[in-house]
Amino acid sequence: MATPRHHLVVRVTHWVNALALALMIGSGLRIFNAYPAFARQGETFCCYPFEGRPIPAWLTFGGWLAGARHWHFAAMWLLVANGLVYLAFVYLHGEWRDLVPRRGLLRDALEMTRFYLGLRKDHPRQGKHNALQRFAYFVMPVFGALAVVSGIAIWKPVQLAPITALLGGYVWARYWHFVAMLALVALSAAHVFMVFAVDPYALRAIVTGGYDESKSPEARNARPFRRLRPPRPPAGAKDAAEGGPR
Amino acid sequence: MSRLWLPRAHAAERLGLDRRSFLAGGGALAASLLGCDSRGPAAASGLLARSERWNERLERALFRHDAMNVAPARARAAGPSFPSYFISDEVPVWSEAERGRWRLEVGGLVRRPAELTLAELMELPRVDLRLEHFCVEGWSAVAVRTGVRLSELARRAGVSPDARAVDFQSFDDGYHESWDLESALHPQTLVVYGQDGQPLEPAFGAPARVYSPVKLGYKNTKYLTRILFLPAANGGYWSDQGYEWYGGV
Repeated sequence: MATPRHHLVVRVTHWVNALALALMIGSGLRIFNAYPAFARQGETFCCYPFEGRPIPAWLTFGGWLAGARHWHFAAMWLLVANGLVYLAFVYLHGEWRDLVPRRGLLRDALEMTRFYLGLRKDHPRQGKHNALQRFAYFVMPVFGALAVVSGIAIWKPVQLAPITALLGGYVWARYWHFVAMLALVALSAAHVFMVFAVDPYALRAIVTGGYDESKSPEARNARPFRRLRPPRPPAGAKDAAEGGPR
Repeated sequence: MSRLWLPRAHAAERLGLDRRSFLAGGGALAASLLGCDSRGPAAASGLLARSERWNERLERALFRHDAMNVAPARARAAGPSFPSYFISDEVPVWSEAERGRWRLEVGGLVRRPAELTLAELMELPRVDLRLEHFCVEGWSAVAVRTGVRLSELARRAGVSPDARAVDFQSFDDGYHESWDLESALHPQTLVVYGQDGQPLEPAFGAPARVYSPVKLGYKNTKYLTRILFLPAANGGYWSDQGYEWYGGV
């Protein structure tokens, strides 16, 4: 039995965000490749081990520097507008309660990790999201905001010099922009991995909105790639006792 | 350090630079929204052009004459590692034997057109500014620029109120870039004849060039010959090939 899980606004902004991030990251990497380093000319840079080595072309988008810049400076509006719609909705609709860190998050996240590592047998109790999800979905917009602010800082280092100065100057603003991108990529990759490895039923929820709680990871006691199938209907199943709903 | 980002990078960009094929770009359509070094669907070109116009309006609205560049105190001057770009096959050098004495022409919509020799230019009020340069490729570099404020030249020439743009022309194989008048009159926009306390070297645009931190590097014409005040912008070497025309920093 499917129950509504994600509001239409959340579903639409999720997929628009996926598209906007893909456009921004692809074109951003193409722009980065015009000077795949952080050091100011005549200086060295402390904190990037791959100075001077371009990103593989197949990961980039925009074709050439000017094209990638046109895409980047167009898709940024999509990313920002969509992000603001999402944040406004989450605030006004009260969904932020499922997303912001709360007391005990660290302990709960540790318990989730212990469960995934097989150090604990039963799935920790959770609300809409488990503690690790909660952490990831909270941190994602934070890095998004860092990407936007550092992006503005390297777009207008003279006209908006105070913002650039806040981030440590142009060279460091460029670095934080790159770090924010890496964090967003890492979070997205972990998110997609976990969807397929633990809760493929969430795909339906983020498309049509419906979610079958009886197939939730908590109900299945699911670790990555373990007990992916839903518990059999009570009629003739021996699995039911093991993973059935409480 | 690697040499990867030295001048060759821009030369490589030039190979793929036809704006028409960029805008028409039929082949890049399929499955091109993600990766593969694709230029993206051609159908998006109108959208991208509209977003460039919208961004330009925003950039003009953000523009302030009192927003100044201050190069970070701890930053090292790039000196000889400052990349040097030109579009001719070799470093353009003004040959007096062939072209006579170099002069900077200030003309167009002005009441008092002028032709200045280098010596005359150097007699005008001089400024020395330590500035951070921002290249479209993403690198930056610090140098001390010595020259004359463009606003000073404009004042002397008596720019007509009809002027909305300035074109900076060169003897580097037709290279030019036009600017909005506002950016040209920014107090840090200079006609530069010295860099790091030395006369400008041919690699960096001798005898004189435009320099301003409020524009990306490619807008700053080197090997300057003519400053034309115009009723409207008339493109530029890189802008005509698809780089954004405004190129503000």
